[in-house]
Amino acid sequence: MSDNKTLFQEAKLENREALLEHEAKEVLKNMGVKIPPSKLAKTEDEAVSAAESFDYPVVMKLMSSDVLHKTDAKAVIIDLNSPSEVRETFQDFMTRFANVAVAGVLVEKMVKKGIELIIGTNTDDDFGPVILFGVGGVLVEAIKDVVFRMCPTTKEQAFDAINEIRAKVILEGFRGLPAVNKNELSDLLVKISQLAWEYRDYILEMDFNPIIANEDGLFPVDARIILK
Amino acid sequence: MTARLEKYFNAKSFCVVGASTTPNKPGNVVAYNFVHSFPGETYLVNPRGGELYNKKLYKSILEIDAQIDAACIIVPAKYTPQTLKQCGEKGIKNVIITTGGFSEAGEEGLQLQQQMLEIMKKYEINVIGPNCLGLYSPALGYDTMFLPSSKLKRPKSGPVSILTQSGAFGAAFIDQLSRLGSGQWVSKFVSYGNASDINETDSLEYVGNDSNTKMVLIYLEDFKDGRRFMEKAREISLRKPIMGIKANRTETGAKAGASHTAALSSDDVIVDDLMKDAGIIRVTTWDQLEDCVLAFGTQPLPLGDKVAIITDGGGAGVMASDMVSDCNLKLAKFSLDVQTKLNEIFPSFYATGNPIDITGSATAEDYKIALEAAYNDPEVNSVVNICIPVIPDLDINEYMKITKEIAKRKEKPFVTALVGGEEADFAAAELLREDIPVFTSPGRAVRALGMLTDYTNYLRKHGVDPSSISVEE
Repeated sequence: MSDNKTLFQEAKLENREALLEHEAKEVLKNMGVKIPPSKLAKTEDEAVSAAESFDYPVVMKLMSSDVLHKTDAKAVIIDLNSPSEVRETFQDFMTRFANVAVAGVLVEKMVKKGIELIIGTNTDDDFGPVILFGVGGVLVEAIKDVVFRMCPTTKEQAFDAINEIRAKVILEGFRGLPAVNKNELSDLLVKISQLAWEYRDYILEMDFNPIIANEDGLFPVDARIILK
Repeated sequence: MTARLEKYFNAKSFCVVGASTTPNKPGNVVAYNFVHSFPGETYLVNPRGGELYNKKLYKSILEIDAQIDAACIIVPAKYTPQTLKQCGEKGIKNVIITTGGFSEAGEEGLQLQQQMLEIMKKYEINVIGPNCLGLYSPALGYDTMFLPSSKLKRPKSGPVSILTQSGAFGAAFIDQLSRLGSGQWVSKFVSYGNASDINETDSLEYVGNDSNTKMVLIYLEDFKDGRRFMEKAREISLRKPIMGIKANRTETGAKAGASHTAALSSDDVIVDDLMKDAGIIRVTTWDQLEDCVLAFGTQPLPLGDKVAIITDGGGAGVMASDMVSDCNLKLAKFSLDVQTKLNEIFPSFYATGNPIDITGSATAEDYKIALEAAYNDPEVNSVVNICIPVIPDLDINEYMKITKEIAKRKEKPFVTALVGGEEADFAAAELLREDIPVFTSPGRAVRALGMLTDYTNYLRKHGVDPSSISVEE
């Protein structure tokens, strides 16, 4: 377990373009963000014992710097419910991705359904690090319901941003879905904005999409950190 | 830290370099302005020597045997670097360069601007410009606007400070303000052009601290120091309203990239959100700027979002009501006694809800009853006074008298829409002469209230009492 500074410095030394998902989540965890339980498995047996320890269902994702768009490459398999499914998926990954550099397979407890949100950051030519909040999921670029703030942002600014999205009604408990805890959500925005500001020499862009808001809290399900 | 612009406006001595003897040439106009209005000492420089406006024309800056606090250079671009160097040798620390032909004009100009930057650094000179109108303050007799006053009319002293990247925009807007109402509008005008040194953020910082500036109007196309601009604006907007245009809205910046965030990062979406977060009231069209000046420059801030509409035309009332909801305002519900009174006094065919529609039968007396009832009702935060003056029984002079009386109470925002032709124009001009905000459509009048109310809401959200902010004297 490295601290964030070491993590970024090492990645820079290696001239890497991005952090892998499990590393990006490690960074979040170091900032005090709650992430779904997960383990990087190097072998089939490790994958099964990780899955058993979290309880099913689990999600398995291939960690490789050659495969950044995991969904497109079918390198994310969800809703696995037994040791045999975990073994099968592991073997399938190893066959299909035999020719790329694989850091391991991330086994993660599957997060219960909820509202999909996005938090991201970018480096703006005029304003430096900026943070984005909005409606997340795969349609995020089509829906474009997002709000920006400068990093680092205060809790008040984050709170305002949350209330500025067009679809803010979905945060209040929409059609039987649980209401989103805005206090917790604004804390999360503040932490991510601090991360972007503190490590602005290293970070170019970040995507945490989706962040699933369900009755248990807020869970960054995918994480991507693009380096400068 | 004192804002750098303060040293310009506080100058006790000023030098016009390139003072021309040819009437209406830029160097001639600026020399005229300073000789005739500036209370400090003015020095004029022209390599040919001689006299202008009973003042000696020095052949060189270095010939002047006195300390000079600020200067304006109005010589062709190619002579500008050497002139700036002479300013440096003379010890002039604050220079305005109005001449164009620099970074905005291709490679050669860019090189000239680069040369100037080196001179600025070496002699530690502050520079406004190049390619700008420079500074104007009627109260300080400070005017580097090189367009003759026979063409560009100057507004008189007032509460508004204007920052503009574009000189032509600035000139047009200054001219426009000179004939808006009493013409008493401008505190400081800063046209910073290419911003080789002093930029939008330095300018904002200055007017933010300036006690004579009660509201700030901006015209920007891009940012030189965007991050600090937003930080400053957030701080200043809690004390005085900042409003205006950030043009150049075409979608750029967003790129299909590695992240969704980068793909969603359109420049204007970011600018829009950050302006809102910093408390800047953003408008997009030219006519809204004048509306801003009229609304913020003459009206108190509303203490709530509840609007009363009084009209003599049903359609105008409906359109105004639509705009009320477009601007996130609400139609007020009159208090019981006010409602009872309106119901008793007015004939049954008048609509006495909100809007109060006193119809084509309206008289000036009906306006008086309706306007006063709405204005005095504590349930009403602002009032829209709509008049289509074509109706036969309305005495327009009496209507104007009533409108003036209420407008001058200034207890809550009161806006008027005079809709129609000659008679409407006549009444509008009469009222505007006394700085009573009149608009040519119900929508514009309500939108002006919308901007005022947005600012009230912003202040309240940040724990500031809107009644503590006063733009008009």
